[in-house]
Amino acid sequence: MPQVRIVAKNFMDMVAVLPAMKLDKLYESTFICEAVLRSLPPLAKKYALQMLFIESPVTAKLFEEWVLPDGFSKHRVAIERLLQLRVFLETNDRKKETSYTMNPKFQSNMRKYLVQGGTLPREPMSLGVTVRLPTLEDLEAYAHKQWECFLLQLINSAQAQRLTNFSSSMIRVFQRGLLSSRENEAPRLTENGFQFLLMDTNAQLWYIIREYITTSEDRGIDPTDLISFLLELSFHSLGEAYNMNSLTEVQCKAIKDLADLGVVKLQQGRKESWFIPTKLASNLSISLSDSSSRRQGFVVVETNFRMYAYSTSKLHSEILRLFSRIEYQLPNLIVGSITKESLYTAFENGITADQIISFLQQNAHPRIAERVPTVPENVTDQIRLWETDRNRVEMIPSHLYEDFPSKEVFEGAADFAREVGGLLWEDSNKMRLIVRGELHQQMRDFLRRSK
Amino acid sequence: MTLNWTPQQTSMRTAANVSFLPTREREANKRDFTKLELKVDHSNRPLWACADGRIFLETFSPLYKQAYDFLIAIAEPVCRPESMHEYNLTPHSLYAAVSVGLETETIINVLNKLSKTKLPKEMIDFIHGSTANYGKVKLVLKKNRYFIESPFPEVLKTLLKDDVISKARISLEEYQAGETFSVSKTPGEMDTHSGLLDGADLAAAAEEKETHSFEIDPAQVENVKQRCLPNALNYPMLEEYDFRNDTVNPDLNMELKPQAQPRPYQEKSLSKMFGNGRARSGIIVLPCGAGKSLVGVSAACRIKKSCLCLATNAVSVDQWAFQFKLWSTIRDDQICRFTSDNKEKFRGNAGVVVTTYNMVAFGGKRSEDSEKIIEEIRNREWGLLLMDEVHVVPAHMFRKVISITKSHCKLGLTATLVREDERITDLNFLIGPKLYEANWLDLVKGGFIANVQCAEVWCPMTKEFFAEYLKKENSKKKQALYVMNPNKFRACEFLIRFHEQQRGDKIIVFADNLFALTAYAMKLRKPMIYGATSHQERTRILQAFKHSPDVNTIFLSKVGDNSIDIPEANVIIQISSHAGSRRQEAQRLGRILRAKGRLQDRMAGGKEEYNAFFYSLVSTDTQEMYYSTKRQQFLIDQGYSFKVITSLPPPDTGPELSYYHLNEQLDLLNKVLNAGDDAVGLEQLDEDADDIALLKARRSVGSMSALSGASGMVYMEYNTVHGKKTAQGHTKTKQKDPSKRHALFKKRFG
Repeated sequence: MPQVRIVAKNFMDMVAVLPAMKLDKLYESTFICEAVLRSLPPLAKKYALQMLFIESPVTAKLFEEWVLPDGFSKHRVAIERLLQLRVFLETNDRKKETSYTMNPKFQSNMRKYLVQGGTLPREPMSLGVTVRLPTLEDLEAYAHKQWECFLLQLINSAQAQRLTNFSSSMIRVFQRGLLSSRENEAPRLTENGFQFLLMDTNAQLWYIIREYITTSEDRGIDPTDLISFLLELSFHSLGEAYNMNSLTEVQCKAIKDLADLGVVKLQQGRKESWFIPTKLASNLSISLSDSSSRRQGFVVVETNFRMYAYSTSKLHSEILRLFSRIEYQLPNLIVGSITKESLYTAFENGITADQIISFLQQNAHPRIAERVPTVPENVTDQIRLWETDRNRVEMIPSHLYEDFPSKEVFEGAADFAREVGGLLWEDSNKMRLIVRGELHQQMRDFLRRSK
Repeated sequence: MTLNWTPQQTSMRTAANVSFLPTREREANKRDFTKLELKVDHSNRPLWACADGRIFLETFSPLYKQAYDFLIAIAEPVCRPESMHEYNLTPHSLYAAVSVGLETETIINVLNKLSKTKLPKEMIDFIHGSTANYGKVKLVLKKNRYFIESPFPEVLKTLLKDDVISKARISLEEYQAGETFSVSKTPGEMDTHSGLLDGADLAAAAEEKETHSFEIDPAQVENVKQRCLPNALNYPMLEEYDFRNDTVNPDLNMELKPQAQPRPYQEKSLSKMFGNGRARSGIIVLPCGAGKSLVGVSAACRIKKSCLCLATNAVSVDQWAFQFKLWSTIRDDQICRFTSDNKEKFRGNAGVVVTTYNMVAFGGKRSEDSEKIIEEIRNREWGLLLMDEVHVVPAHMFRKVISITKSHCKLGLTATLVREDERITDLNFLIGPKLYEANWLDLVKGGFIANVQCAEVWCPMTKEFFAEYLKKENSKKKQALYVMNPNKFRACEFLIRFHEQQRGDKIIVFADNLFALTAYAMKLRKPMIYGATSHQERTRILQAFKHSPDVNTIFLSKVGDNSIDIPEANVIIQISSHAGSRRQEAQRLGRILRAKGRLQDRMAGGKEEYNAFFYSLVSTDTQEMYYSTKRQQFLIDQGYSFKVITSLPPPDTGPELSYYHLNEQLDLLNKVLNAGDDAVGLEQLDEDADDIALLKARRSVGSMSALSGASGMVYMEYNTVHGKKTAQGHTKTKQKDPSKRHALFKKRFG
């Protein structure tokens, strides 16, 4: 997976940057406390549990004494995390000695949880009311379809057959950072956008949810409410039906958006309506690194630059179109070829050769997956060569100096520029020279002096 | 997004002699066939068929072998790399299918069985449309009488409505004309597709078929054939020769020698030709080095009648004569060569004559000897007309040759049948449909031809050369400048050293540019052969190359492109080439395709992964880059891949290779700039009388794109080789200097 710069690694990273007040408010919910506890690194988890029944501050020194020298870095990470999430609060006494206390709200909630056991956020509805619920496979297919549909709308709304209920302004919010739209031009995918498409579903969901939460204030919704609801949602059981009545107004609105993303499925009974969490919902609180559910590869690339993708997905065809020319679309096969022109378009959009190659390699069809290399060497070489070919021209901001009063001044200036390592070009006949832009001031000073 | 493919779709329906849009153009529009209905068990079926005639075949399917055999019979291969093949259904390919005995319904049934989706209606209509007329009528030579034969009496009636044909008809009872045909039975096709046909189809295929026929006047055959072509009645006739029942023409007693064991694909191509016990006319396509001559000789041995074998030049004539003696039991006095300096005659009443197209088609005055021989050729009824390298010869030459010689069966052989140009259309109707085309990669896997590592070496232009290259006044020297690029020279020198010293290989260096050829060869002190090299010298150089451990590299101009047989060579370095000709690239590769070493090492998974190397050296940022992409297309479509090498020679090499110092490079640059424009251009070969002189006229007129092959559509033999000679064919004792001979010819006939 290429390095993803655009995504907070984890839901908790986002929780950690919330202002103190909001965080404290979040800890009023037992689920959040539990979710936060679960998300902690092992050592931090241990510290939190150790402190659960200690109310007085414990000095940092004492903590340090618990760890062996080689575990010190882990210790620092754990403490930092606990402080970030305000599970621990830092106090400095008069002697400037640091000590930690546990966040009282977190502490009391967790104690309660430990003593009384957890309760579900809400009870599933009885089967009598909901009649027939979709099977887990159906639910997964639904979630997958819904998500793909959303992505398609995101990257190319013209291609989406069925639009989600997101307002166009909402979609624009999601597109921010993924697509660049110059004036009077159709929006184009940026480098980040392409990386986004290459990520697996969980990572993509995170990105979208994060955007969804961080922009909620503009829609008049408190992000804390959303975060707590989303975390709550991840504690619901997969495939069970939950009554919509039990939701607050904010949650009700949010659940509809989540349905568009495929996180929940909404169903309407005779009298009541309910939502059913899908796998995407239960994955919400799992950190990214756990998501190893790779889908099967589907792309075959041949030595003649032909590309055959076993896929029915419009999304795939849109992704492939970013760097290849699609020539045939069959019911379960997309045929295209990688051409210089198609790659140049991709490079222009900031997609790199390495991204394309790693996409082709990671999604290699199982038939060719054992082949070494999975993507023919001449194709990968050529993709890289075309990229480097484009990068042969280097731009250096620079200044042109001409009209020198005399040969001496010109030569002096040229020597000076050479000395400071900024001379790019000189023409001694016409007495002109070009020097790196950042040295302009020095050049000016020098020329002034030599007058 | 809206899709726009209706125009093509309608043109597909009109079948027959529709001229298809060039492939590239069609590929520019995306095709959306997502609406096709997938069958439930689609994963078990190997192919997709699109409404525009394109077919995709999975090579990893368990049904691949059968599906491949079937598709190659009904469709034109577009590209055949490792995992997925593409084919196009065209009127020509369907014509070929029908002519080897496949029927419309069989084609549709089998295709439907193999297809993952329901067949698109357009395709079914197209097959119906294309096969409606094709293959329905056969021209059969039986007991030296020409018959027009068809299983469909109504078709014959249609034909007889035509004036020319009805006049040509010979009726035994004049008064009974028109309505009755003689009825006979012919054995059904014994074909290899049986695996794909179910019981009913099989029974239908094996059943004897009733055929209706009428006889026509032998003098009118050409006219009748003309009337049946697509531009007239549109019932193109297939020609079949019932050689077993031919009692009039004397038999030629020749058999294949026991050691001549045709390989599986050679057998298969022959089985297509002799599928129903008769000999069909048509074209067989095999890569260079895969043993085309054995196929030709085997065909002649089966027919066992007099055979006229046509080659492109005198050297090939010698090679063919040699092949006949090598593979068959033919006696020396039964085979003869007929070239400008070799006018032999066979003894007895049947035999094999090997000659060139030009000798037969020559229109001017001949010497007394050759007039006699040509008269014999004209008068004889040939059992087999064997034509080598049919892709080289222009259509009017064929017309002439075919009208001069009377033959029962014509077999064309070629390595690079390039499709979709007009000339192939002509070939289709002048010789016959393509009977078989081998898959290069399969032959490589089977170890029948060498596994070649192809590489394109990028040589950056040096600053000074590139500056001159860009100058307008040097437009005529552009080629010389990029060929003489010192970086290219160093890369070439490096490769030669590497292969000579590290691997002990035998290397051919090709250069079209004579100036470069001379400069390279002189500087590297290697022998070279070009148009003006005398025959003795050629023989001497080739002998040394074959036998001497000290001569491991030779430089060849384009005289070496075609049929020069140098089985020892396994490395080719190409430093300059003829613009964008895909065929030249393929032919040059063919020089090293002949498999070497032990078979088991060569097979897939054997010891040697690659045993031959093909390097194409190109100077970056020059026209060469553009051309080289074009040139490689044919080979890439056959599944070859070109690896790009950018760092040759390795950066740490210093003055041990030439032109290391700037002043040497500048010296070289001066030499190039000071040479006359003529000296640095392409090699202009004098035409030899043995060669196809008719091409000479064309040389000056071809458009640039056609000449270069850059249009991707047209192939033109820019220049053919003359008087070249290999040691294999050195059975002749006396050989004249080609240039002298040429002068004599001029004098005599000019």
